[in-house]
Amino acid sequence: MPACPEPRRIKVHGARQEDLEGATTVAADPASASLVRVDVQPIGRRVEMKRGATVLAAIRAGGLESVAVCGGLGLCGTCRVLVANGGFTPPTDKEREQLSPAELSAGIRLACQAAVMADGRVDVPPESLTTPQRLQFEGYATSVAVFDPAVVALDVQVPPPALDDLRGDATRLRDAVTAAGQRVARVSLAVLASAPLTLRAEHWAVRVAVHRGAAADGAGEIVALLPEGKVPLGAAIDVGTTKLAAYLVDLGTGETVAKGAAPNPQIAVGEDVMSRIAYADADESGARDLHARLVDGINQLLGELRGQIGAASWQLVDAVAVGNTAMHHALVNLPLRQLGLAPYVPAVTEALELRSTDVGLDLAPGALTYLPPNIAGFVGADHTAVLLASGAAETRRTVLVLDIGTNTEISVARRGRLWTCSCASGPAFEGAHIRDGMRAAEGAIERVEYLDGRFEVHTIGEGPPAGICGSGILDAVAACLKAGIVDGRGGVCRTHPAVTRSPEGPACILVPATLTAHGRDILLTRTDVGEIQLAKAAIRAGIELLIGAAGIEADALDEIIIAGAFGTYLSIASAIAVGMLPRLPPERYRQVGNAAGQGARQLLVSRQSRKMADDIARRVCYVELTIHPDFADTFTQELAFGQRPEDLEPERIRAGSDDLREGGEP
Amino acid sequence: MTVLEELRQAVIDGQAKLAVAKAAEGLEKGISAETLLQDGLIAAMKEVGRLFEEGEIFVPEMLVAARAMRDTVALLKPLIVDHEVQSSGTVAIGTVQGDLHDIGKNLVAMMLEGSGFEVVDLGTDVPPERFVDAIRDGADVVAMSALLTTTMTSMKAVVAAISLAGLRDRVRIVVGGAPITAAYAGEIGADGYAPDASKAVRKVDEVVSGVLGDRGRPDGAV
Repeated sequence: MPACPEPRRIKVHGARQEDLEGATTVAADPASASLVRVDVQPIGRRVEMKRGATVLAAIRAGGLESVAVCGGLGLCGTCRVLVANGGFTPPTDKEREQLSPAELSAGIRLACQAAVMADGRVDVPPESLTTPQRLQFEGYATSVAVFDPAVVALDVQVPPPALDDLRGDATRLRDAVTAAGQRVARVSLAVLASAPLTLRAEHWAVRVAVHRGAAADGAGEIVALLPEGKVPLGAAIDVGTTKLAAYLVDLGTGETVAKGAAPNPQIAVGEDVMSRIAYADADESGARDLHARLVDGINQLLGELRGQIGAASWQLVDAVAVGNTAMHHALVNLPLRQLGLAPYVPAVTEALELRSTDVGLDLAPGALTYLPPNIAGFVGADHTAVLLASGAAETRRTVLVLDIGTNTEISVARRGRLWTCSCASGPAFEGAHIRDGMRAAEGAIERVEYLDGRFEVHTIGEGPPAGICGSGILDAVAACLKAGIVDGRGGVCRTHPAVTRSPEGPACILVPATLTAHGRDILLTRTDVGEIQLAKAAIRAGIELLIGAAGIEADALDEIIIAGAFGTYLSIASAIAVGMLPRLPPERYRQVGNAAGQGARQLLVSRQSRKMADDIARRVCYVELTIHPDFADTFTQELAFGQRPEDLEPERIRAGSDDLREGGEP
Repeated sequence: MTVLEELRQAVIDGQAKLAVAKAAEGLEKGISAETLLQDGLIAAMKEVGRLFEEGEIFVPEMLVAARAMRDTVALLKPLIVDHEVQSSGTVAIGTVQGDLHDIGKNLVAMMLEGSGFEVVDLGTDVPPERFVDAIRDGADVVAMSALLTTTMTSMKAVVAAISLAGLRDRVRIVVGGAPITAAYAGEIGADGYAPDASKAVRKVDEVVSGVLGDRGRPDGAV
């Protein structure tokens, strides 16, 4: 084995010494019997605690901050958590006062009272969390669609009834709107129900929201009546598996007037899409619960956004929701079971336009909610929105679009044709299944560089590191390749001074215990490296097979568009170094942020975009990778780090590592 | 190094092309295909299993080693006219109905083959009846894989179908896959669970001696 270069020292950005003095230190040489492991959810951090430590301490060691209004005295009941699979001390008297017997038997405990006696798991519900996860929702402004919203508002003066004018209220409303230049085919039941009161209360001067349907004659439906001068708003909602993002858009101007994000409350019943499908499938109440959690979460978020601008729910006269097929189905209450079983087909692929009252969303009661078409079982309406927002569907250039997550959707656009596939890249980039992994929250290492023989890390919020999130993990692997600590096959150099032993195999010390938030080393283990190998091989195999289907080589790609939260923060250089993305000039890469949310906004303000969404879904040629004859071989080949070696010849890999070591390495 | 040693090393290193070349060189030098299989490939895969269990290598390395083994087996298999290579037992392996994932299943199949088992690969999305038919065709062990939380319940259906066909005491059932646990294996009435490909081989080894013993076969080691 070649001698490993020596790291000089390790520098941690953002960790000031005074921050570190109070950090608890777990003995470096632990008597393992006195240590227990606790999985802290929803961030997916595993922490090691002394037996008998409180759950609250475990949560804090995991880098989260639980609400504990009384300061951990067991008096306020705000630090409620769900405990599972483990030995926790029996409920204290204080807990019996604060919690019902039903709650206690369901595993609800107060984090400040329950102590950990054996390995277990703690779920911190969103309401008990004070540290918000970083929820990225900023979209990248792309090709601006022609402003032509589906719902328009017209100010009309309706002639009041008189003995010589006995038309019904709905008829006179329709006539007035038609006279104002907008033909009307229907009046929604909700408007019929509210019109008599509203018209009289507003002295017959109202603002009428008309949904201009797809009818060729342009005749629309009256979906809401607003008092004169009230701004008609539309809601664009991106329903992610882990987070919800929403925007309120002024439908008069197209301007985004409020935006926000929140965790998807379904996380409490399953971390990933498959476990939620299984939960919905277990019994009927499961499916109902999944739907209810989602609708409640969205309504709560919309309520917060309305609060920001002082708007009422009846001002929301249109909505667009995008999500993967499981989120799409859960939102509109369609069966999920068939999504989880081969051949994984959605209940519906066509676009939907549903009465908001049927969905349960807190909008104007007559408003419609539009969901763009799904493409395939694992390629949902959110990817349609990404293709729309990125402009990939319209361009004449050859473009690769990736939305990286637990499931990565990939599309190639070339000469008006579209190919799409989905690959199971796993949760590693969300920090799960990684020893010191965590979601992108405060204290997560998001950047790792190996410069001049040392690791430099950067954390979210600049504080001392508590763990490492997806972009940090990718960087760390790339840095270890560059440092010669990890070789092309993923092997960790055991003789390198930065390498220690861990139960998960040899591990590289990224940040030593003295500089971390919890006083323990932050490691990148051989097992972690393996998780990244599997994830990057799945993504790269998807890319290669898809561009193969399009009949091109990577070099023919004019542009690579990377969407999604992880995609926004990942370092392209690291992704290329590990071989997840093809080695192309950096200017061909574009990181576009939440393109799905951007697409949803576009669909809100452009009827043309809705036509294009239908067109995209029709044009896509879906490539199923699991049955692709070359998938297993391509995947296996891509397990090697670096750029596409023909085979895993050690000579080539060593040469690859040497290439990576160029520049900066002593 | 001898050709056999080089062949073993190439498989362990996951160098598919080199392994095939070394096997071909061995054949040229007059080494029999059986010897190359037994003392080259099978010995190499045993070593891969050992290295994995000792934490020397990890899943990605195992996958590339399995690929090297597969490519080399493809060269050698047609040359082995006499199928009397000693078999430790027959394993019918498949990914359960509703699931199309096969990389893990293929790895286990390759490791089993590398340990001298006769492996009948039923493929993916395998309905319960096909597992039942495989037992009728002589399988001693049924090995099932499921990679999705949504498809693991199909395993229960297979166990039920085997019981219904009256074949439960003729076969041993082992299960594995990302969402599977030992507790789940017990719950559905399987005989064993393995968390990885190497332990799967050991588990099959363990249960197969049981089933062959039960049937009172003369070759059944108890």
